[in-house]
Amino acid sequence: MTTTTDRPVQEASPTPPAPGGSPRLSDRGLAVAFISPALLLLLGMSVFPLLWALYLSFTDYSATRATGANFVGFDNYITILTSSEVHTRALTTLVYVVGAVLLQTVLGFSIAYLISRRTRGRGALTTLFLVPMMLSPVVVGLFWKFMLDAQFGVINSMLGSLGFGQVEWLTRQRTALFSLIVVDTWQWTPFIMLIALAGLTAVPSYLYEAASIDRASEWFRFRHITLPMVWPLLLIAVMFRAIEAFRLFDLVYILTSGGPGVSTETLSFHVYKVAFLGFNTGTASAYGILMVLVVIVLAQFYLRYLNKLKEG
Amino acid sequence: MRYAQRAGRRSLPGRPVRLATAAIVMATVLAACGGGGDDGDGGSEAGGTKAPATIPELSDEPQTLSFVWFEWPPAQALEDFANAEYTKERPNVTIEVNTVPNANWHDAMFTQFAAQQTDFDIAILDSQHIGEAVTNGNILDLTDFVEENIDVDAYDPYLLAAYGQYPQAETGQRDEDASLYGLPLLGDTWTMIYRKDLIGDEPPETWDEMIAAAQKCQDENPGVSGLAFHQANGSDAAAVTYNTVNGVYGGNLWESADKKIEGVINDEAGQKAMDVLVNEMKPLTAKGSGNWFIDEVNAAVAQGKACIAFQWIAAAGGLVDPAQSTLGTTEDEILDKLGFATLPSQDTDFVPLGGMGMHISAYAPDDRQAEALNFMKWFEQEDIQKKWAAAGGVPARTDAIQSPEFLEAGPFNQVYADSVSRMRDMWNVPEYAQLIDIENTNVNAALNGAKSPEDALNDIAEQQQGVLDGGGGGL
Repeated sequence: MTTTTDRPVQEASPTPPAPGGSPRLSDRGLAVAFISPALLLLLGMSVFPLLWALYLSFTDYSATRATGANFVGFDNYITILTSSEVHTRALTTLVYVVGAVLLQTVLGFSIAYLISRRTRGRGALTTLFLVPMMLSPVVVGLFWKFMLDAQFGVINSMLGSLGFGQVEWLTRQRTALFSLIVVDTWQWTPFIMLIALAGLTAVPSYLYEAASIDRASEWFRFRHITLPMVWPLLLIAVMFRAIEAFRLFDLVYILTSGGPGVSTETLSFHVYKVAFLGFNTGTASAYGILMVLVVIVLAQFYLRYLNKLKEG
Repeated sequence: MRYAQRAGRRSLPGRPVRLATAAIVMATVLAACGGGGDDGDGGSEAGGTKAPATIPELSDEPQTLSFVWFEWPPAQALEDFANAEYTKERPNVTIEVNTVPNANWHDAMFTQFAAQQTDFDIAILDSQHIGEAVTNGNILDLTDFVEENIDVDAYDPYLLAAYGQYPQAETGQRDEDASLYGLPLLGDTWTMIYRKDLIGDEPPETWDEMIAAAQKCQDENPGVSGLAFHQANGSDAAAVTYNTVNGVYGGNLWESADKKIEGVINDEAGQKAMDVLVNEMKPLTAKGSGNWFIDEVNAAVAQGKACIAFQWIAAAGGLVDPAQSTLGTTEDEILDKLGFATLPSQDTDFVPLGGMGMHISAYAPDDRQAEALNFMKWFEQEDIQKKWAAAGGVPARTDAIQSPEFLEAGPFNQVYADSVSRMRDMWNVPEYAQLIDIENTNVNAALNGAKSPEDALNDIAEQQQGVLDGGGGGL
């Protein structure tokens, strides 16, 4: 049986433009119109400066000297890669990144795990833990500088009341770097906690129910259900934090100015000095490009590992 | 059908992306071909544009004359003083003293100089910044203007030279053939602050006596440290401390004629000075004072935590303010306990030259450059310098320094007057910012146990010489 209607059959050919609309504003044109502002902003604010820095990195250009830019090939890169000053800062940065991210991951995951087991007050607790992350690093640096002051700081005051001696938190080689790690951990542990919490709440409850029926121990459930489910998400959080920590500048600037001596000078802080104390713009550009390359290469390896994990 | 067409497309519109990328690459290439150099702009010539000998006609339109300085009490004092006094002569002009944190002071000025566009008309430069600014053509050459408008005989020659001359003058002298790029705004040097109630009314006269007095005072007064001085690795804090001790013990920072540092700063006198600083003076300071600068030293003195301290005179005003001190409820009570004296001498009697000069931005508009010249001429008059002294400033004209207005304005002003002939400055070469950073970080490392005194001094000599020799690309 067939049915017929009085209405004409609609053709599959392109719909004619609506009356009053521009005949040229196709879907493609509309897409371009919407994307263009963002694209231009990205190109102007990120891509162009990056290409410009790449160009300068092959010159001896200085932003303040009126001598122009002379091509020097890979000299700046060779100088940086062979400089013992840079090696020292790279080591300091490495210790800092590993120490801070490791501590934040352990603490962040632990807090998230404990919060996820609560049924009451979970939201309030989560919000409370997120407060440090919402503060400006400069503000955080300033109040921790006061708190860690050896003479007038509240930390030493508390230690004193417990019978401990004064600790020179910011003026001794070992404690200064440790202090930076502690302050960064205080501020950014909530980030790891938040990501881990998202992973923990997404673990299907039937898995735990099944494990309970099998009388699995708490450790077994954690080891074989919780951790594997949260692990990929946690690794992404670790990557974000590692990249952030790698380019640490503000806390160093406020808390230690890189001291004592240069013992807490990170790579970013060193680039700042090269760029703005001597205005060696070419060298600083090469230094910055190398730092970007390091992050890109390491992130690529890391993402490949994550993909393998996902496929596995 | 339409779905199939869409699925076949790229997710991003390819042509615009390609066009935009090409535009970016072309812009980069064009910019690169244009070079980073300066072309055409008169203000960019190395050595600086010359200011006219006579002040051009001034505008009657409302004007704001902007200064840039760092955040400390004299900055507010200058703004208040200039707005109260200069407007009597030029009612259409408002003075604005913009400030940045001390640590950003150099960067704030020189990044704008690098952009060849400044939001300030008068830069208040440290005396050591002059070389960098002159070499890059950032400030006006005031030689002809000074010759025509300023009574140069009214100044101690070295003060006039220190805040304006380039190439740098020999210590204590002025080269009358050299160009002047600035005029004094605020003179300064260190004063020794001592607790009269703890070590007696008479200040120690030699450096060795000072250390002995500090040691005795610390031993007799638990909770009070013997010494307080600048040790931080930011700004020029630790470096000025070492340079001061170096001068007192007969050392030199460099041989300016040959630009030689290696073997000069780390000679026997230099090593002795570093040894005294690290092994004799540092143990008398408070624990954790390795990052102290102006504010922390003031706090220690105001809270009665130090027997002897060293501070810039221009930053010492708060010490006699009862609202900021625990040493007394009136200024007289505080002054019963605090004494201010010139620095002790030892092998020589050098004291550090502090303070800053006024310099006109080469990138300021013509009408405000003219106004800036007029302000400078006005500011350097005898009666205005005395009023500036009474308002809390430290003048540079000899008649103002010796005037009752200045000497009675603060208990430490006599110290400045007595110190003028003893002053010594650091290098004012274009590489100053790098030299001072090297010295700061190494002296700070030595003071905080991160390096041995000998290694620190040898590293300073080697690294600074490397900078002057032009190698390393700033690393």
